[in-house]
Amino acid sequence: MNKYIRTSLAGLLTSTMITGAAFAAGTHPETGEALADDQTFTYRILDEHSSVDPQVVEDVSGAEIVRDLFEGLMNQDEDGNLVPGVATSYTTNDTKDVYTFTLRDDAKWSNGDPVTAGDFVFAWKRAVDPALSSPYAWFMELMSIENASEIIAGDKPVDDLGVKAIDDHTLEVTLSAPLPYFAQMTTHSTTFPAPQKVIEEFGDAWTKPENIVSNGAYVLTEHLPQERSVRERNENYWDNDNTIIDKVVALVINDENVALTRYLAGELDRTEVPAGQFPRLQKEHPEEAISFPRLCNYYYTFNLSDGGPEAFKDPNVRQALSLAVDRKIITENIMAGGQPQAYTFAPAATAGFDVPDVEMASMSQAERDELAKELLAAAGYGPDNPLSFEMVYNTSEAHKKVAVALSQMWKQKLGVNAELANMEWKIFLEERGNQNFDLARGAWCGDYNEASTFLDLLQSDSGYNDGKYNNARVDELLSEAKTSDDAAPLYTEVERIIAQETPVIPIYHYAGVYMMDSDVGNWPVNNVEQNWYSKNLYKVAE
Amino acid sequence: MLAYIVRRLFMAVPTILLLIVASFFLMHFAPGGPFTSERPLPPAVLANIEARYGLDQPLWKQLWDYLYNIVVHFDFGPSFKFKDRDVNDIIAQGFPISLTYGSLSFLVATTVGVALGIAAAIKHNSWIDYFAVGLGIAAQALPNFIMGPILILTFTLWLGWLPGGGWNGGQWPYLIMPVIALATSYMGSIARITRSSMLEVLNSNFIRTARAKGLPTRTVIWRHALKPTLLPVVSYLGPVFVYVLTGSVFVDIYFSTGGLGQAYVGSALSRDYAVLLGVTILYGVLTVLVNLLTDLAYAWFDPKIRY
Repeated sequence: MNKYIRTSLAGLLTSTMITGAAFAAGTHPETGEALADDQTFTYRILDEHSSVDPQVVEDVSGAEIVRDLFEGLMNQDEDGNLVPGVATSYTTNDTKDVYTFTLRDDAKWSNGDPVTAGDFVFAWKRAVDPALSSPYAWFMELMSIENASEIIAGDKPVDDLGVKAIDDHTLEVTLSAPLPYFAQMTTHSTTFPAPQKVIEEFGDAWTKPENIVSNGAYVLTEHLPQERSVRERNENYWDNDNTIIDKVVALVINDENVALTRYLAGELDRTEVPAGQFPRLQKEHPEEAISFPRLCNYYYTFNLSDGGPEAFKDPNVRQALSLAVDRKIITENIMAGGQPQAYTFAPAATAGFDVPDVEMASMSQAERDELAKELLAAAGYGPDNPLSFEMVYNTSEAHKKVAVALSQMWKQKLGVNAELANMEWKIFLEERGNQNFDLARGAWCGDYNEASTFLDLLQSDSGYNDGKYNNARVDELLSEAKTSDDAAPLYTEVERIIAQETPVIPIYHYAGVYMMDSDVGNWPVNNVEQNWYSKNLYKVAE
Repeated sequence: MLAYIVRRLFMAVPTILLLIVASFFLMHFAPGGPFTSERPLPPAVLANIEARYGLDQPLWKQLWDYLYNIVVHFDFGPSFKFKDRDVNDIIAQGFPISLTYGSLSFLVATTVGVALGIAAAIKHNSWIDYFAVGLGIAAQALPNFIMGPILILTFTLWLGWLPGGGWNGGQWPYLIMPVIALATSYMGSIARITRSSMLEVLNSNFIRTARAKGLPTRTVIWRHALKPTLLPVVSYLGPVFVYVLTGSVFVDIYFSTGGLGQAYVGSALSRDYAVLLGVTILYGVLTVLVNLLTDLAYAWFDPKIRY
């Protein structure tokens, strides 16, 4: 086995060990800022979380809580880089299909029991167990763990999963295919350890605050569904001495405007900024209104399936519609939260992704409009034969504003009649998934920080390819990228093809637009996946 | 009377059963299911989940199992969305909250509404009348989804007197805004109905007789006019009581109270079948009971009615 221990990981580990303890009413050990006496971080969540069981949780706000309560093999730092979690280091073989993780010996559960390799084995088997039927079982398949697919399908027993505890502090994982970025995937909540004894004792009720035992920097102390959940410092956490925030409170506030009011009244340290309000808030609270790029895109997809409209089979029509979209108006006047305009499918913020020079991006809007008119005329549409279609989006004020703007742009510039239709979320998904649409809204947030998480949507056999775009060269490039050491040029070529053929109309890429109390220190604005850990935050004295 | 109550309760059973069956099929016929998502689940994963919740069974079997579990185990099933809790948990947690602020709103709306209505009728065409009518119309024109944000802006942001939301075990600072938001529009309607009913009663012959024999006005109002005045009000109050409990979704959304209204609407949107059905049944039973109580109250208010 060819060992190459990540020396950078070991280096980071020692640097975090040097820092001292007892911060309350003191100063920050690195920045020297005076710390507030009350180290409580309170933030708003849109909706009640699905679960705090690491193998069961399936929503973003739930995963945020789970990341505080539990700790996996690896964590991410403020910039999204991999840093040690329960594992101090890992090795892999030449073919990158066997990974061996060394676990720290001072990691403990909140009840004082040591965290062992066996806890990970239990958790990972649990994740694929048909009896638990985790909605995130597919993540273990994505990780290519040996026999995961067969176990999920019920063809093999759970114990055949390619994961084993060599001893209490050594975990060995066998993969069914080489995966260069396997370690990155262990920052995902599905892979976090689970306390076997507690789960066996309490069953489904193990996640209640009175029963739960966890190994992260915090423990769950209170949960009032649809109202709040509270997590407090875990005294048994191995790095408790370096944790500054004592208490984290997540408040469920469904209405974003009410949340903003409560933020302004001082009840919250963080909340989302409703669409269009960022410029005003930035003027009034320049220290607190923040915007940074996120790993998500917003687009419209053409229905290119056999049942789709004939007009959209012509790339000229698709390109004309894309060209006529004035993205500046949408990002600056409608969203107004610092969202980047999109001319490619994957956001520029994606790691290792070189944004290609697509022609459209360098043209002025007047030039684009001119070209759009020519292309549409060439396709045979004009005043005598106007193009008409229906565009669907899921019911929401912001989506409606964008859809109205798009249809107006097309109407004024090209004489196109786009009829708007909105649908309730589940119906929308059903209709879009069954290709019952002409043009449909879409948005995608990356599952991991790599361009394939976006571009795979355009692979012909992807379950997420609702527009049924089918290009053999794109498929070939994407499958080549899976095993390539340098996939960036391949992704660039895919984007070039997409820009030419326009199976989708990229409109903008998301920004994280927040009101964040200026007391909150170290919010990871550079972590595009927004995987934040309360243990890395602190509050400065006012 | 007792026989009447027993008969009504017996009649409620087929009503509720019909409600369950109709809701069950309507729910299943709505496009999309609990596990329809933007990231469609791989077939094997979906099959495991459906097997776990019995969604792979034919519909009639699912309905039968559902009814069987309710009758035999009093188990209303699991939540598909909130995996750490089942329907019994969700109702046990949310219903007391809805009931608390709902009952308080009902009490406030009724007492203030009736008092305003009576005052307006007695002092007909005086400034009190105009004030009460004006207040009633204003209150009615402000539904709770308008009142909610206005109250929060005023009392939380500008004055800083009250917390902007939450429940905290129902402490009074957390109760004030939800109760006001929910009570106002019903209060307006109750005041209006009371006023017109009282005016009608005051003009009727038996009141004229009472006045003619020299009874003081106070006695005329309290002893003779009040009961018949309240009869139309009571028939309005029955549905209002159910509305303040079921229609509380806006209160839950704006004040994060954690009541059942939000769970009800949320479960419909996420196709959380068992939660949706469980809350529907609860509301159905509540409606039947409240209707029965209203009918019984008639007999007290109007001696002509006998069961």
